[in-house]
Amino acid sequence: MTSSCRQISPLLEAFGDEELAADKLLEVEQHLVDCDTCGERVRLNQALHVSVRSAVRAAAPVMPGFEERIAQALRAEALREEAVDTVVEREAQHSRMLSWRSVVPVAAAAALTLVWAASTSKQQAQNDGSATEARLNTADQLLEELVDHHMSARGPQVTEPALLSQLEPEVGVPLTLPSLKAYGARWEGANVVPVNNQHAASLRYTMGGRHVTLYVYNSTRVPIESRLTARTVRNEHVYVGTRRGVSIAAAEHRGVGYALASDFNDDESAELVAAVY
Amino acid sequence: MSRKVSISAREFETQAIAQLSALLGVASRLTRNPADAQDLVQDTLLKAMRARDQFEAGTNMRAWLLRILTNTFINRYRRGGLERSVLDGPDADPLADGWISASTMESMRDPESQALRPMLEKEIKRILDELPEEFRLAVVLSDVEELSYKEIADIMGCPIGTVMSRLHRGRRLLKGRLYEHARALGIVGPEALVGDTSEKQEPVIDLSQYREKRVARS
Repeated sequence: MTSSCRQISPLLEAFGDEELAADKLLEVEQHLVDCDTCGERVRLNQALHVSVRSAVRAAAPVMPGFEERIAQALRAEALREEAVDTVVEREAQHSRMLSWRSVVPVAAAAALTLVWAASTSKQQAQNDGSATEARLNTADQLLEELVDHHMSARGPQVTEPALLSQLEPEVGVPLTLPSLKAYGARWEGANVVPVNNQHAASLRYTMGGRHVTLYVYNSTRVPIESRLTARTVRNEHVYVGTRRGVSIAAAEHRGVGYALASDFNDDESAELVAAVY
Repeated sequence: MSRKVSISAREFETQAIAQLSALLGVASRLTRNPADAQDLVQDTLLKAMRARDQFEAGTNMRAWLLRILTNTFINRYRRGGLERSVLDGPDADPLADGWISASTMESMRDPESQALRPMLEKEIKRILDELPEEFRLAVVLSDVEELSYKEIADIMGCPIGTVMSRLHRGRRLLKGRLYEHARALGIVGPEALVGDTSEKQEPVIDLSQYREKRVARS
């Protein structure tokens, strides 16, 4: 190796990568005209470059079906985005009229008024009865379905929190995992369950050996509050009731509904559901 | 001048699918496992889809996706950053340090394909997988994806000088291992040292002989 080679050698790699500054490029090219050894180094570097590229590409072909899998995942993500945009837009429309904190108590009061009216005024019940009855029947059916799912021992579809977002397209609302660790709850997994011809995410927890199911759903499509009692926990409006020995506590936040099924008492259920968002 | 623009989900899907082969190649060499590589690519593209309004129009979409892929890999598989494992063996490049003749280097190449001899090429993937991750990633991004030093620096989150150092050390290790392999296969014979002999290394002293000398002196 000549002294000239010693100066040029450190530049050969950047020369091969076409990253050399113009003045150095000229210097290297002039040297290569007369130096076979450095010329051979450049050719060997190039051969290594070609071989690495072909070995890596040959080792990782895009297998049949993988492209379709990715396309489906991206389309599901696009649907989820659309669902979120819809929720945000609806919320914006609502906030232009009244904030949900105002709307929910008013709606609850209206529902209670209807219930009260139904029990005290036969005539009025006949006028409003059909709509109210339909609403109550729907709420009854929803509560029954939530209790059924809570009692069933179906295995979870998803056990990794990072994969919860895969359920979002079916459920139609953003899904984040409430930890509830402060209450000693341990998350076991999640499913999608049918509720009133819609879908809700069913998140299963255990707390001291007791099972807790937290349903997350589009609150406009799964109205269950009319069969529950309104109460306030830490300035949050929640609705609580018991069905077949299972306590159900529900709340709504930014268009997302949360319903918690457990064998806790109503106070405990209300406390828990107020902590999920 | 680059600017951030929001591209539609459909447009993003088209552009992302076009980069699938490149992403899978890099992911495979990072994870060294085909199933993990596929999961890594899927995670990367979903993250990129959610963050596509951050993509700057006019810049390299492949480099942007590879940066997300590298970060996803580090966060998911290597919470402490890229693995800095130490490869056994000399950190010297006999092919660049003037030890090996031009004719020996030439015998390692296949003149027709402009690549290494097929018998050596077969070993490349294995040797590449044995490199420390940060060297392996630099070599793959440069030699396979043909990205610039600047783009590799952006992806790896380090200065350009560090990229050059990682590339140099990665290739040096690769070539050293390939040269050993070529000798084992008889593709190249024993090489007399060439070049400046004043830089010839001192022979390694045998420990038992050294002890015997010490005992004899005492």
